[in-house]
Amino acid sequence: MSSEADRLLIQQIRQGDSRAWETLIARYEGRLLAFVERRLRDRSTSEDVVQETFIGFLNSLPHFDDKRELQTYLFTIASHKITDHLRRSGRHPLHTASEGAGDVLQQQFDHHPAASSMARSHERRQLEEEAITKCLGVMIRQWQERGDYLRLKVLELLLVKGWANRDVAAFLKISEQQVANFRFAAVKKLCEHIRAAGLPPEVFPELQA
Amino acid sequence: MLKITREQLHGYLEDALSEAETSRVEQALRESEALRRLLRSTMQERDHGDHSIGAVWCRHRLSCPSREQLGSYLLKVLEPAQQDYIEFHLRSVACSFCLANLADLSALHKEPAPRAQERRRRFFESSAGYLHVGRSGKK
Repeated sequence: MSSEADRLLIQQIRQGDSRAWETLIARYEGRLLAFVERRLRDRSTSEDVVQETFIGFLNSLPHFDDKRELQTYLFTIASHKITDHLRRSGRHPLHTASEGAGDVLQQQFDHHPAASSMARSHERRQLEEEAITKCLGVMIRQWQERGDYLRLKVLELLLVKGWANRDVAAFLKISEQQVANFRFAAVKKLCEHIRAAGLPPEVFPELQA
Repeated sequence: MLKITREQLHGYLEDALSEAETSRVEQALRESEALRRLLRSTMQERDHGDHSIGAVWCRHRLSCPSREQLGSYLLKVLEPAQQDYIEFHLRSVACSFCLANLADLSALHKEPAPRAQERRRRFFESSAGYLHVGRSGKK
């Protein structure tokens, strides 16, 4: 969620306040530039992409949901602009990869949702994502407040990186049983929450394992 | 070396991987038909509306430290356990958003102020003409 300061800034920008727009640029350009530069490795091109990101933000502002975190939204726009740039300049791997790899990488940027995806509405998927975000967010905050960083590390490696129990155990120097216990407890809680929200856990493949 | 996982492919599709990880995924995709199949199936899952909990975790930055905490991390003034966790999040999870914030914070005192101001002025001048779009929704 956007901070109160960001919400106020957005409100002012929506009213056409150029000072507020200047403030937003000053607040976010540095991190956006670092984000883009890590991928493009060229300062001048990265500045162009950040410039396009800001223009893209203003163009999409009428549709921006204030409940979204502004920083995350800006990073998302920057990601799209990076992809656009790589494709335009022929630097994306699909231009240099073997044909087989090229095909699949090409699909990443040219594919459109299959017909089956139309069956579950955008709103429905948003509801599911909100439910899991809420539950996971509460769990993570509780671990952080309790200083239970080991559990947080285990779950982050399992769910974000997709590592196997044994790899997580070896990396963190704990037993596989402990990793399995942490996974079991977290999955159980997430499943309960999803069911309580009247949503199907089947749409979260990790909860089926 | 650990194999590329479905979760990493979700991160790749959302451009949420670190630079090193992105290179590793792209290299592996060029070399492995099995991985290309997994990428296709991951894309189909996304089309079908299946979620990846890891992708949701990253997208909403559920465990990311705040910018203030990253600043404290740089100054090494956090509690050891928190300092250690942020180190893990940056180095082992390699969160691209936090790495960008960290790079920005590290550069803040190194870059000459006039250069940053000049850049900001350019960003402003090139985009301010679009302010009316944000206001009215019309170009």
